[in-house]
Amino acid sequence: MKRFNSNFKGWLFMLPAILIFSLTACSDDDDNGNGNGDAAASVTIKFDHGWGPNHLPFAINTALMHPATQEEITFTKLRYYVTNIELHKADGTVWKEDESYRIVTVEGNSSVQELTVPNVPPGEYSAVKFMIGVDEDRNTSGAQEGALSPAENMFWDWSTGYIFFKAEGMSPAAPNGQFMYHIGGFEDPHNAIRTTTIAFGEQRLNVVAASNPSIHLKVNSARFWHGGISLADVFSIHMPGPNATTIADNWIGAFRFDHLHN
Amino acid sequence: MKGYIKPSPVIILLGMLLLFACARDAKEENTNVPLYIRQPAHFPKPVYTFDNNPPTRSGFELGKRLFFDPILSLDQQVSCGTCHAASAAFADPRSTAVSKGVFGRSGLRNTPALANLIWYPHFNQDGGINHIEVQPVAPINDSLELGVGIANAVRILQNHPEYPGLFERAFDSDSVTAARILWAFAQFMGALVSDNAPIDAFHRDNKPLPEKAMRGKVIFDESCAGCHSGVLQTDFSFKNNGLNMGSNDIGRAEVTGNIQDEGRFRVPSLRNVEYTAPYMHHGQLNTLNDVIEAYSTSIAAHPNLDPNLPVGGFDFSSQQKEDLYQFLLQLSDQTFVNQSF
Repeated sequence: MKRFNSNFKGWLFMLPAILIFSLTACSDDDDNGNGNGDAAASVTIKFDHGWGPNHLPFAINTALMHPATQEEITFTKLRYYVTNIELHKADGTVWKEDESYRIVTVEGNSSVQELTVPNVPPGEYSAVKFMIGVDEDRNTSGAQEGALSPAENMFWDWSTGYIFFKAEGMSPAAPNGQFMYHIGGFEDPHNAIRTTTIAFGEQRLNVVAASNPSIHLKVNSARFWHGGISLADVFSIHMPGPNATTIADNWIGAFRFDHLHN
Repeated sequence: MKGYIKPSPVIILLGMLLLFACARDAKEENTNVPLYIRQPAHFPKPVYTFDNNPPTRSGFELGKRLFFDPILSLDQQVSCGTCHAASAAFADPRSTAVSKGVFGRSGLRNTPALANLIWYPHFNQDGGINHIEVQPVAPINDSLELGVGIANAVRILQNHPEYPGLFERAFDSDSVTAARILWAFAQFMGALVSDNAPIDAFHRDNKPLPEKAMRGKVIFDESCAGCHSGVLQTDFSFKNNGLNMGSNDIGRAEVTGNIQDEGRFRVPSLRNVEYTAPYMHHGQLNTLNDVIEAYSTSIAAHPNLDPNLPVGGFDFSSQQKEDLYQFLLQLSDQTFVNQSF
């Protein structure tokens, strides 16, 4: 019994260590896979939606006059994919985010939407690059998770492909009083995938450990009708084609640099 | 201090407890085992290889349950299995030209048979769907078919008393997502392999067909196998066969927007064709003999008519028609249609 007793005391002594081991042994691996560990920071990208080149106030469910066509437009929906985000350094090196798929939804009274890009390696960045749309690979490789889930209703079920962006609303200029732009298409000649590289000029985004700097972009929501496109002519787009690629060309021009917060 | 390192029974027991604590999920709750899906030696390489969706018994069982569960319809009355029944080689057992879906609404095209889908490069009769995993989104969303909507389906299954547990078994997570629903469907539908018809014994083992059917095969090879080629009797091209018979369905053109694709539909596999009446995209022909007769006498001129098809028809003799019919019966896989689910 004495012998057992001493063993038992020793066991008691080890109990905290055993408990700690048992708690950590089953926990998920916290490594983010980038190998950055604690050094990684997150970068916020702010999409500040305005109206026209002078960035007048923009909101859903608000009647607006298009500065070029003078047509009255009320948005009821504005959603778009922002994917394949990259941060570029002045020396030409590029950091690409893995699994970089998000949807920006403009809703309620807020015209500013924020995306947070986690695990950005430290460095001084001179530009951000992203895609409006979904790359061909994810359009052709079956069921996807997250922002690419078909449950997001940004997906054509009858003719496979993602709807890269949706702009819907009302306009007295449209024949039936409504407009619906569902823009997508990943195959030539009607490929509507567009990317933009937005440089920060002389400024640099300083990413240091545990920081959260932000990139402030201005988005011209009137840009769909750039070049004088009238809602009387183009009010319904629901499949890939020449109208979709024209609107895609216009929309990618909506994004421009405003300022950084380091 | 010696006592610390002597392996006492208590410490051994505790160690075992720790091992079990970590292994419990895998050993006790998850009864999942890999599922072997047959790839017949005389078939070509499959298009879908389950790369990101390794089939398991639990995934297959989940897909099967979803396939036959009316919970995925807006009125809770119809399932995939209503219009795709094993007894009809997964075509509509009610033999209607177009199937009735949710709220008794009629669909737009004849329900296709389902078999050997992992060899398909595209889905639906217009080829609009490019991957087996995303095919079910169409009938789930379509207001004439199941109509429940994929986002709604996720919510319904997540709130169901049993489904989250079935997702846990199949995917190690009780969180229901659209992708997991679709992966389960792909596992079930991908496992529907039909390779036990007399034509398979002919291809695989050189087992001859009955005499009339052998003569029919010669006619088939000469007149039909240009498009209905290979062991699946299709080259998966889109053709206008001159038998639209008044249907104004533009077919492939709906997807491509090309006028040259008007009235073109996917060349269907003829596997189990005996069980899948009626025929053609709109179910406009009731029997196999009607089909043979139509190809013999009723091929209509059309700007997009396949150039291999003679306007008017092949003008088969009655002997040729009978031989062709006997050949088509050799594509019937009785094991496949007699499966019980």
